[in-house]
Amino acid sequence: MEQIKNDIVDYLKANSFMDNGSSLKDNDSLTQNGIIDSIGLLELMDYICEKYSIEIPEDMLTPENFDSLQGITNMITKLAK
Amino acid sequence: MRIDAYIAEYARKIPQNIALEEGKNSVSYSCLDNDINTIVLTLDDFKHCRFAILAESGMLYVKVLMAVYRSTNIAVPLPIEFPKFSLEKILYTAHINNIITTDTQYSRFGEDFFERFGTVIIISGSTSGEFLRKKIETEANNPELRLVLYTSGTTGTPKGVMLSDRNLIANAESIIKILRINSRDKGALVISPHHAFGNSIINSHLMAGSSVRIGNMNFIDSVFSLIGSDVSIFYGVPSTYRILLRYLERFRKDFSNVRTAASAGGGMDRSIVKEIRELAPDIEILPMYGQTEATARLAYLPAEDVDEFIDTIGKAIPGVILDVFDSEYRPVKPGITGELVATGDNIMLGYLDDEIATEKRIINGWLHTGDLAQKLPNGYIRLLGRKDDLLKIGDHRVNPREIERNIEENNEVSRVFVVPVHHELMGTAISLMVIPAEGTEIEKLFAFCRKSLPGYLCPREILFIDHLPLSENGKISNRSIIEEYKHVKASM
Repeated sequence: MEQIKNDIVDYLKANSFMDNGSSLKDNDSLTQNGIIDSIGLLELMDYICEKYSIEIPEDMLTPENFDSLQGITNMITKLAK
Repeated sequence: MRIDAYIAEYARKIPQNIALEEGKNSVSYSCLDNDINTIVLTLDDFKHCRFAILAESGMLYVKVLMAVYRSTNIAVPLPIEFPKFSLEKILYTAHINNIITTDTQYSRFGEDFFERFGTVIIISGSTSGEFLRKKIETEANNPELRLVLYTSGTTGTPKGVMLSDRNLIANAESIIKILRINSRDKGALVISPHHAFGNSIINSHLMAGSSVRIGNMNFIDSVFSLIGSDVSIFYGVPSTYRILLRYLERFRKDFSNVRTAASAGGGMDRSIVKEIRELAPDIEILPMYGQTEATARLAYLPAEDVDEFIDTIGKAIPGVILDVFDSEYRPVKPGITGELVATGDNIMLGYLDDEIATEKRIINGWLHTGDLAQKLPNGYIRLLGRKDDLLKIGDHRVNPREIERNIEENNEVSRVFVVPVHHELMGTAISLMVIPAEGTEIEKLFAFCRKSLPGYLCPREILFIDHLPLSENGKISNRSIIEEYKHVKASM
């Protein structure tokens, strides 16, 4: 779980969505805090699909699964099984 | 009449009809009217003052906007997707003393951001708005001014388009006619309400006594669920449709009951139209064209002509006259290129506190759109690019020279050139060509762009070059920059 979270944070930092110095709590909203927008979310989704070799059905593209580190991590864990 | 007066009228005539929906919540015309009145009580001491509105899209945003109108004040919605320093620049040039914001935005932007305001009102769904501070100042405003919309200002000088009640009503009436909006319709608002297109969806649907379902484009499942919940008119910029068309089966299912797919903000290309036709054969596709300077809409392409004339903007909406002028302001014949001009009750009062810019755009009562155009023999109009070097990036109008200057002034770099490049979803995105200086670091440039520009302006790639992208006659323009970019890419 922690590894996935770190990967996502690394991605967000590498693509400058976040500053290197800043931190993100597990349940912080990515969209409401202005970290990522709709195009950015689609790109993040493509990254996740490739990185974890998973396909994300569109009915899983919900705020519960995609708006926080925790949600994304849970979703990846579920789909990667 | 003001837009909010229509709400009051429908609250009497059809009190139980739904006006707004968001997630699991909805509000009837009668409740909406009451909620607006409650917020008006908070604003009552202010008369014709500028109120910045810093709020995420949602029912609360619409209520606040209408309450500012009803209390006879002036609304200045802030585009919340802009980075903080762009908003600060808008606030600085617009001399705004008062702000209404939501809990969410207050904690996002932080206490410091709000220190510049004499009056700060924080509002949540359950309150009428609470004063953090209150200071009433007399302001000298254009007597007709009701709404200020920002068209640019991510970088460079912000331009606030001043709109009157007459502008808003006239444009909404035209839109209601071309879309045949009636009280049984439900419109989908998934784009930003802080800009002209989103704002026009709110106005036209509430003026027609119909409802608006509010959401956003962040989460695909949520968007499709919204569309599938009896939406009859869907509105999107071309990139909205490109994103949704990634999910073919879901598109087919959830658009099956939508009567009209309307678009604005950029030209729809044939491939989008073709895909929509295949997935939703019965849907009416209605491309529209406009500018913030014209409140929102100027032209539309009638549904029956979409297949044949998709490369045109069609004809003027009711109440608007379009023409193509030469450089001496005389109409040109069909087939001759000139500048598209427009006149009608929807043309802006002018730019806020900028008479020089206003005089350049409104000449003898005609709005000069800056778009190069030709009339076709049947009266339809075809656009042929810009008179200036403005670009449409992710369906937003941007000035590449201002973006370049902004990056140059804030980074260790010699020169920066913005290149429009194809993007699968946005249609057009940007790349940068950079003449490096000592200490230029690509990562730092990316980081600056991500932090200081809205998402659609984050460059796809940054290439180093060693000379200016000059044209044969020694000038730098979008064309010469694109030529140089092609050259650089070919030699990579």
